Amino acid sequence: MTTEFWLFLIVGSIAVVSAIMMLLSENAVHSALFLILVMACIAFLFLMLNAPFLAMVQIVVYAGAIMVLFLFVIMLLGGEKLGGGTPFRWMTPGAMILSLLFLAAVGLALGSGPISEFAAAPGSPQVRVAHFATDAGVVDLSVSGVVVEEDLSYGDTIGYLSFPEGTYEIALVDAETETPLVAQSVTLEDGFVGTIIAYGGGEQPAIVTVPDNLSATAERSGRITLFNALSTEIPVSLVDFGNEFDETDTQVLVADVAQGQASDAYDVAEGTDLRTWAVIESGNESNVLARLSNEEVFDIEREESTLMLVGTQRLFDGSTRALVVPLVAAALPTFGSPVDVGQLLFSRYMLPMQAVAVLLLVAMVGAIVLTHKRSPSAALARAQLGRRRVSRPLTSVIAAQVGHDISGPGTGAAELPEPVEDGAGD
Amino acid sequence: MVQTEAYVMLSVVLFILGAMGVLLRRNAILVFMSVELMLNAANLALVAFARQWGNTDGHLFVFFVITVAAAEVAVGLALIVAIFRTKQSINIDDLNQLGG
Repeated sequence: MTTEFWLFLIVGSIAVVSAIMMLLSENAVHSALFLILVMACIAFLFLMLNAPFLAMVQIVVYAGAIMVLFLFVIMLLGGEKLGGGTPFRWMTPGAMILSLLFLAAVGLALGSGPISEFAAAPGSPQVRVAHFATDAGVVDLSVSGVVVEEDLSYGDTIGYLSFPEGTYEIALVDAETETPLVAQSVTLEDGFVGTIIAYGGGEQPAIVTVPDNLSATAERSGRITLFNALSTEIPVSLVDFGNEFDETDTQVLVADVAQGQASDAYDVAEGTDLRTWAVIESGNESNVLARLSNEEVFDIEREESTLMLVGTQRLFDGSTRALVVPLVAAALPTFGSPVDVGQLLFSRYMLPMQAVAVLLLVAMVGAIVLTHKRSPSAALARAQLGRRRVSRPLTSVIAAQVGHDISGPGTGAAELPEPVEDGAGD
Repeated sequence: MVQTEAYVMLSVVLFILGAMGVLLRRNAILVFMSVELMLNAANLALVAFARQWGNTDGHLFVFFVITVAAAEVAVGLALIVAIFRTKQSINIDDLNQLGG
């Protein structure tokens, strides 16, 4: 019995008891308040289920907006006094029996086997390819005999490609002579995400497969992994030189990465200044291979996983230099976080979201139309007034003013003509 | 980590309580609140299964359910207000004119 389970028990029983009280209470206002308590408990359970975004939405929309609307209507109608007599209907026994049957059915289903045995199916494997073979020149990449990318020069990379599960023959083929330089068979399993790197000097470069760590990063930070793809067998380290004039403040961040090896992940806070960082030969601070001084290239953003490849580039005059190339990939957002939900909402669920937005607008208009009180409108009243003015003979207006009928027989007065248009007499 | 079964069982109990409220209470506003309770119970099960499968789609469904519930409450309460104006009652046993 862990603390979490006790918490679940306490919050769950508060929710159930509140729901029962909501059903039983005579006063509708009390029912609404108990329902708010149930909503709050469910929001708490959402938090325990790694759904912080939904917990907040639950509080704001349910406990905030919807329940205020309920309370408002109850107060408006005096609903708490309504009901008269027993608050329950005649079908109590039937409803009880049906509920117990439903409970038994679900209990039977849950009792037949644990849900926890099932797990999500991993997606198909994804790999990206980096060409860091010093002397290979321009190559084509072929996977199991099929050329998937042509004319890769040194330092080029290919973004993630998705393959079905299986074993593949990854080969680098010389682009001009079409002779295979190096080939390696790689087994890709479902859920694997990694980088295939060709490195090393001479005629025989090596190919290595490195799994990528794309799990959620620490808060407001990115992740760096160093890979040593040099053509010579020297281990490298990533260091922060700090102050240029202070020899003592040099920090080793990632130490001793041997050739063909990837380092452990190193978390870097977002926006860290990398201009003082450099890749050096391990234990030899004087042999600086490359500095990360270019802000355009080396930039740490949050929720990004960067694979830094240190390679040896052959220059035109035959000399070599070390080159650092960052391969940046977006790390997965934290499960259930607003970023995670938002990314899905604005990509795969864009159309449903628009439909729901329209639904909300229609509901708003509908609520206004339904509650709008139909009083005799001003336009109707004006129309009636105008009709009376036209149809009323002038004689009756005079009669009303002088107090007796002037057009009746025996008065001797001449018959006045009926007004032919509005405003002729009055 | 609390097992998914516990959450599903809790959600079923809440759902049943909500269903009983819909069937048994005579006050139309109470019936409406019970419907909200049933929706919430379903949401709880969805979020529990979303964690089980490590899939955010369940959260999206809960999000949509909450949105639709908000629209439903707005229209439903307006209907109750309109019915109260004509019949001076929100007892659902009185609203049997369509029953013949």
